[in-house]
Amino acid sequence: MLPHLDRKLLRDLKRLKGQAAAVSLVMACGLAMLIMARSLIHSLESTRAEYYQTNHFAEVFVPLKRAPNHLAEQVRALPGVATVQTDLSVPVTLDLPGLTEPASGAVRSLPDFGEPELNRLFLRRGRWLSPGARGEILVGEAFAEANALNPGDTLTMLLNGRRQVFRVAGIVLSPEYIFESRPGAALPDARTYGIFWMPYKEVATAWDLYGAFNRLSLTLAPGANERPVIVALDQLLRPYGGLGAYGRKDHPSHIRVTDEIRVLTILSIGFPIVFLSVAAFMTNAVLTRLLALQREQIAILKAFGFTNRAIVVHYLKFAFVMVVAGLTLGLLGGVALGHQLVVMYRLFYRFPDLHFRLDGGAVGIALGVALGAVTLGVLDAVRRAARLPPAEAMRPEPPANFRPAFIERIGIAKLLSHSFRIAVRNLERRPAQAAFTVAGLALATALLILPNSFKAGIHEVLDFQWDVVQRQDLNLGLVEPSAARLAHELAQLPGVTSLEPTRNAAVRIHFQGRSRQIGLRSLLIGGQHSRAVDHAGREITPPTDGIIVSAKLAAVLGAKIGDTLLLEALEGRRPVAEVKLRALAEDFTGIAAYMELHAISRFLGEGDVITGASIGLDMSRRAAFLAALRDIPRVSTVAIKETMRQSFRETTAKSMGLIQSIYLTFAVIVAFGVIYNNARISLAERARELATLRVVGMTQREVGAVLVIELVVLALLAVPLGLLLGTGLTTVIIGSINTETIRLPLVFTTYTYTFAVVVVLVASTLSALVVLRKLNQLDLIAALKAPE
Amino acid sequence: MRGLTKFYGEGTTQVRALAGVDLDLFAGELVVLLGPSGSGKTTLLNQLGGLDLPTSGTLRYRDTDLTHATEAELTLYRRESVGFVFQFYNLIPSLTARENVGLITEIATNPMPAEEALGMVGLSPRLDHFPAQLSGGEQQRVAIARAIAKRPAVLLCDEPTGALDVHTGIVVLEALERANRELGTLTVIITHNAVMAEMADRVIRFSDGRVQSEQHNATRAAPASLRW
Ligand SMILES: Nc1ncnc2c1ncn2[C@@H]1O[C@H](COP(=O)(O)OP(=O)(O)O)[C@@H](O)[C@H]1O
Ligand SMILES: [Mg+2]
Repeated sequence: MLPHLDRKLLRDLKRLKGQAAAVSLVMACGLAMLIMARSLIHSLESTRAEYYQTNHFAEVFVPLKRAPNHLAEQVRALPGVATVQTDLSVPVTLDLPGLTEPASGAVRSLPDFGEPELNRLFLRRGRWLSPGARGEILVGEAFAEANALNPGDTLTMLLNGRRQVFRVAGIVLSPEYIFESRPGAALPDARTYGIFWMPYKEVATAWDLYGAFNRLSLTLAPGANERPVIVALDQLLRPYGGLGAYGRKDHPSHIRVTDEIRVLTILSIGFPIVFLSVAAFMTNAVLTRLLALQREQIAILKAFGFTNRAIVVHYLKFAFVMVVAGLTLGLLGGVALGHQLVVMYRLFYRFPDLHFRLDGGAVGIALGVALGAVTLGVLDAVRRAARLPPAEAMRPEPPANFRPAFIERIGIAKLLSHSFRIAVRNLERRPAQAAFTVAGLALATALLILPNSFKAGIHEVLDFQWDVVQRQDLNLGLVEPSAARLAHELAQLPGVTSLEPTRNAAVRIHFQGRSRQIGLRSLLIGGQHSRAVDHAGREITPPTDGIIVSAKLAAVLGAKIGDTLLLEALEGRRPVAEVKLRALAEDFTGIAAYMELHAISRFLGEGDVITGASIGLDMSRRAAFLAALRDIPRVSTVAIKETMRQSFRETTAKSMGLIQSIYLTFAVIVAFGVIYNNARISLAERARELATLRVVGMTQREVGAVLVIELVVLALLAVPLGLLLGTGLTTVIIGSINTETIRLPLVFTTYTYTFAVVVVLVASTLSALVVLRKLNQLDLIAALKAPE
Repeated sequence: MRGLTKFYGEGTTQVRALAGVDLDLFAGELVVLLGPSGSGKTTLLNQLGGLDLPTSGTLRYRDTDLTHATEAELTLYRRESVGFVFQFYNLIPSLTARENVGLITEIATNPMPAEEALGMVGLSPRLDHFPAQLSGGEQQRVAIARAIAKRPAVLLCDEPTGALDVHTGIVVLEALERANRELGTLTVIITHNAVMAEMADRVIRFSDGRVQSEQHNATRAAPASLRW
């Protein structure tokens, strides 16, 4: 049988169900976020680890120009190296029916017989390549899906300039391409870029690479250190055009998943902290009031020999019931939302089998954190109540000390109604409670700022990246560096309104032992297309010498303006030069470095050479332009701004958008919960007084006005505070979404603030209506008889 | 108790509620403590019941010195030995009559069943009513049942009829008298109503925080015979 004290608990809870539910709901929001994010981290991390393990994903990677196959033996002999795998990677141009833009991709070679030692593929559909067969390929899943390719379909490719038709044997996944994207591109474009696999013999023959390799990956011997292996490898491969070895943590596909995990980590810490603080606040409000109402009951329990501890436990149980309800709801919510996000992740991250995996530890953490938060929120109040000597608790609380309110003292009061006077006096009489309510409302308001600011940030990236920084309509990339004359030829194509040459180069940039491999981009003095922009949105005039880098890159390297960086070209004669860091560019996707076009030429020690061009296009002649472009074989890539923008919208923006809408929903729930709770508490605390007012002849309207005026005054105080608090909170949280893949700018719009204010107003109005209804149903006799 | 004093507050606002009380109470007695409002009766009862500690003087219960008892010792004393009845009943509103009594018997060592205690105060038909569904007199009888259910050695009643009319008051006093008679509980009834003195074994008159006089009654009047 349930102990009597617990029966009391259940009955008291039943009376408080509205408020208890509001607290649980707020808690559930925070816990759902926590459980969802931690479980997604767990899902991604464990799935990735298993995938790497099962498919023998390498630990060190190095691209190079060309090395004889027997060199692999020497690599194998390096200390710390376990398994070595060599293969070929070559660019292809695709001829896709119905697609006007040129599509391209990379072809990777597979051993002619047997499976590769490392980076093994996973066969999703169809079959493996039949040994010795020609004209067969395996296609990466993202590209196959985007282009509706199935096993048995054919695909036309330009292999080293020769047009050839291939039959798709199977659709595959590779641990090297969990995230399939054009190298160096921040955004995926599965429609126009794909990864393909062919037998070594076929690739090598087409590119004249027989007996050689241009990619090498290896795993480390147990306990071996990555650093010395990379150094030895770079030394060994330098004569063969080695482009710099790197470990997993610099592997482009690996970085993308890691960055996603990093964003999730922020979500799993930042948001729940905020929500649970609000919940702790609300629990405190509910319990403090309960304790005040049950002062005499506590005294009785003590008079009859209940210990302080028994009483503390009894009241803590109230909080714990709310925690358990919140956790249950949060668990259900977190699992449901987690499943949704996994479905979306499957579109971006290609794993053989990505499933939502509940992180059991996270549920434990959630329980612990929630218990901790509410206990922290109420323990003191409960302790104080339990410690009150019973003889004292038995005496009713001393009558409130009323005095004319400030507003009355300054003389405005004469203009105001009775209701207003009573409301204002009440607030002044209990400043602590009023402050508490204001704090709760302010928190609720603050929470509403973040999600919309998040959204505005994504929009800013969409506009900024494509309209401020890249004012051209498209970028062309050439198969290899060509004489600048080609630019004139390109400028003659139909529809071209403006053209600026570009000279981009693959470089590794070093500073004090840290380095990053990046694409060095050219800027033109007085150029109208690509620009670098500083944190204030001002164009940075490219200096005739020196380098501009993404602020994030500078942070990663630990460099600041004026420092001397070491720039190592990974192509041509591979010169190395010291360059001064001149300015920091504010960009939001990927990391980059910029130099003036001629400065790049000087650095590379070459004459007038370009690697591509940026083009302004008359969009009505786009089709004619793209058709004409097909006749210029030296063009390998076309990146159309609108297509890229669309792709960003559908990937990164969509994933962040989903998280944003979840969060926005939660924030609205919390706002309603807090405000409703406040209104209920103020009604319950005042039922007796309000009933008295009714009994002495005030109308329902006038009494209702007392409550509503109180609510309005508090909201007027709280909302500006909340907007301020929300701005600070947002600055912290958005500031921590700062990865090499994506950074979000801080954007506060009128809409963001208006939205928050409107939600608070609507929630206040609805809560006021509920409370007024309750007030009208108030049983006057009962309210006068008992304090409850 | 010897030389018991109790001061409230400090400095100029200090109030002397008890001004040196010497008093012995014996097992099984029915004592009526009579005094005007504000004379310190409630304060004295709080000390007797271990709800509060005196400022000076000594207070002994059997072999225990309550003047220097710790919080835990006081709690144990109240749990094992004392039952309280207050002027405003102070029932737990969310529990039924039976549950209000059960709440206390649950933590006592040798209680009677809640139903039996409620039977003794004549409330058998109202076991499952909530306080709000009971009249004042009925609520006070539930409070008495709650106080006697653990078979306390001491039953302390602070103005038990103060909020009741004559008729209901008498029913409550009958319940108290019966508990004293059948359970042999030392019962102290505080009142400012002199009529109740007649039902006592001993009457103690109290004013200004002091015992003014004591009087033994040869026979106790039945509560039903009292009128005020
Ligand atoms: N907690 C307290 N703080 C200050 N003064 C108190 C307190 N309790 C009682 N008193 C004062 O002590 C005196 C005795 O009170 P009390 O014992 O309640 O009298 P009675 O029960 O006889 O009416 C009164 O003057 C009262 O104001
Ligand atoms: Mg009194």
